[in-house]
Amino acid sequence: MATEIKRPSTGAIQGAFHDGTTPRTGPDSIHPPLDHVDVGAGTISATVAPPSVGDEGLPHETLREMYRLVALARAVDERMWQVNRAGRAPFAVSGQGHEAAQIGAAFALDRSKDIVLPYYRDLALSLAFGLTASDLMMSVLAKAGDPASGARQMPAHYGSARLRIVTASSPVSTQLPHATGTAYAAKLRGTGQVSLACFGEGGSSKGDFHEACNFAGIHKLPVIFFCENNRYAISVPQNLQMAIDNVADRAAGYGFPGVVVDGTDLLAVHQVVKAAADRARRGEGPTLVEAKVYRFTPHTSDDDDRTYRSPEEVKAWRARDPLALFEARLREVGALDDETLTEIKGRIKSEVNEATEAAEQAPFPDPTTFDRHVYAER
Amino acid sequence: MATTQRAGKKQRQTEQDGLTAVAEALGFDEETLRGLYRKMVLIRLFEDAAQRTFRQGKIGGYLHVYSGQEAVATGFLAAFQEGDRAITAYRDHAHALLLGSDPKAVMAELFGRGTGLVKGKGGSMHLFDVANGLWGGYGIVGGHIPLGVGMAYAERYWGSDAVVQLYLGDGAIHNAAYHEAANLAGLWGRDGLNPTLFILENNQYGMGTSVERATAMTDLAAKFDSYAIEHEKVDGMDLVAVLACAQRVTERVRETGKPYAVEALTYRLVAHGAGDFFEKYRTKEEVRTWRERDPIGLFEQKLLAAGVADEQGLGAIRDEAKQIVDEAVRFADESPEPPLEELHTDVYADAE
Repeated sequence: MATEIKRPSTGAIQGAFHDGTTPRTGPDSIHPPLDHVDVGAGTISATVAPPSVGDEGLPHETLREMYRLVALARAVDERMWQVNRAGRAPFAVSGQGHEAAQIGAAFALDRSKDIVLPYYRDLALSLAFGLTASDLMMSVLAKAGDPASGARQMPAHYGSARLRIVTASSPVSTQLPHATGTAYAAKLRGTGQVSLACFGEGGSSKGDFHEACNFAGIHKLPVIFFCENNRYAISVPQNLQMAIDNVADRAAGYGFPGVVVDGTDLLAVHQVVKAAADRARRGEGPTLVEAKVYRFTPHTSDDDDRTYRSPEEVKAWRARDPLALFEARLREVGALDDETLTEIKGRIKSEVNEATEAAEQAPFPDPTTFDRHVYAER
Repeated sequence: MATTQRAGKKQRQTEQDGLTAVAEALGFDEETLRGLYRKMVLIRLFEDAAQRTFRQGKIGGYLHVYSGQEAVATGFLAAFQEGDRAITAYRDHAHALLLGSDPKAVMAELFGRGTGLVKGKGGSMHLFDVANGLWGGYGIVGGHIPLGVGMAYAERYWGSDAVVQLYLGDGAIHNAAYHEAANLAGLWGRDGLNPTLFILENNQYGMGTSVERATAMTDLAAKFDSYAIEHEKVDGMDLVAVLACAQRVTERVRETGKPYAVEALTYRLVAHGAGDFFEKYRTKEEVRTWRERDPIGLFEQKLLAAGVADEQGLGAIRDEAKQIVDEAVRFADESPEPPLEELHTDVYADAE
């Protein structure tokens, strides 16, 4: 029972290894604790992705489809605010400014089989994965036809089992452990699916982020942690949120790569997420991608952003509107001209108008069904 | 981090020169050094007795002993000053004993007796001795980390220069609570408002899960980079190294009000807890090799080599410690159960 006390059988005891850089050597280095330590791994910080060039070899048809979705997301988003301000929708929360990052990421995945776990700003991502303008308007107007929950969910909590969009929860960052779970399932089942989970820089301070990343790192899971860093967690700027510059720097602590990318550069995001998805599919594990973006709207329809940021700051960022930037790029590479643009914009306008009309005409949920979607039904 | 490495290089050289140089630098006389030996031996014998009496059915609940890790708490708490605070998880007997809790009261607490440190209501995992600076004693892995960081903030907010020694295990660092607390510590530390000294006791296993099975990035100290908290490692089996490190980093935290982290590489020579059979997850060879660096044995050797103690003197200290432990067990055994009326006390604050 008593723990036997032993004195070392070898000679002088070497000094400690405080600085973590000097592995123990010599006769007393019995099972040196540093053996399993990947010295220096903690000092690796995120890499910074280069800006995109030209059309990055993508077919122009694909580029136009990307553009259509960015523009459609913006139009639906603006319409949501309009119906909120008109008093017809109780709440709006949106992703204006984030669209290019989301579409770049979505097109880097296999949209016919991969899994996405959006957060409440991922309107564009959800459209790219198959939700329609009509679905989204049903949701914001709380109509029975809302595919996420038949109007039980809050607006912007996108979800569709059929489309592999895992429904969002209001608590921040709960989707991250879920993504680690869906990725673990994909690995165990050998489905070849990649999971992409989105969150803000504020969400990265949650414990869920830490546990999700650590577990995904150990098991080398096919998951991409996609941080849409818009610099404000509601009203808290990043420098009052964390003591480091890049969320992606935190990847080193979990043993996988972190990449910082300009989130207003759609094609740069596409390249980075594509590399991350390829890596995941090769069984090499997770990647943390941090897309630096800016949110043009207040946090939600219940927030007044003038209390924590200047109109000049917002204006300066609006000058780098990803929608306008992408439009200019496509014109530059010859993928878009006035005629095509007019056609796309016209199509979007009627799509959003019809979606709004349909949603406004649609019935509210039948009150007698209020307890549905709480428990599984046989 | 590079700056730390440069700043501490000269001091580290002194630390490597061994016992005499470190003792001189710290102003420790021979009696102090023998006192530190006495403390480590007392912890080991106390833990042995606790395991023995647990098997005899005298200790209820659960039991986690500190055998093998003595040099860590002994070294760091040697730098503890009045007004400082220590907070740890459930492997907490050593911290209580080192901070000055009566061994009789600690053993009685393990026995669940009314004379125990917290009246027999906390048991092994929930020792608390505010008068001596011990703020627990927590059973939930990682749960105490935000509390420690909050205490450190409070100390600076109130204008004190106290340091909070926050002990955590290698398993706890993967816990959500660690991430949230470390992030705030790094943030508040920028303004000199978070004098937390994180002492990461890496004993290589979170229960039965080895470090390399618990994370893909096994340089645990470097995990503090994610929060802009500077850090280093220390040989947690070598009391002399820990003493020198502890003194230096505690003063640094006190002066700057910024958090700092030390990963002490150590080893639990016994099972995780009373219900754990460690043969299942570690080899005899591994345990044997670590035993060769038993912190008490290492320190004995240094004391002898430096002529600070002789075999006879060390034997006398061990006998003395054994008497204290025997007395603690006898006291606990003979103490009454908590009276029934204590069931409802210490639950809510007393109303005026």
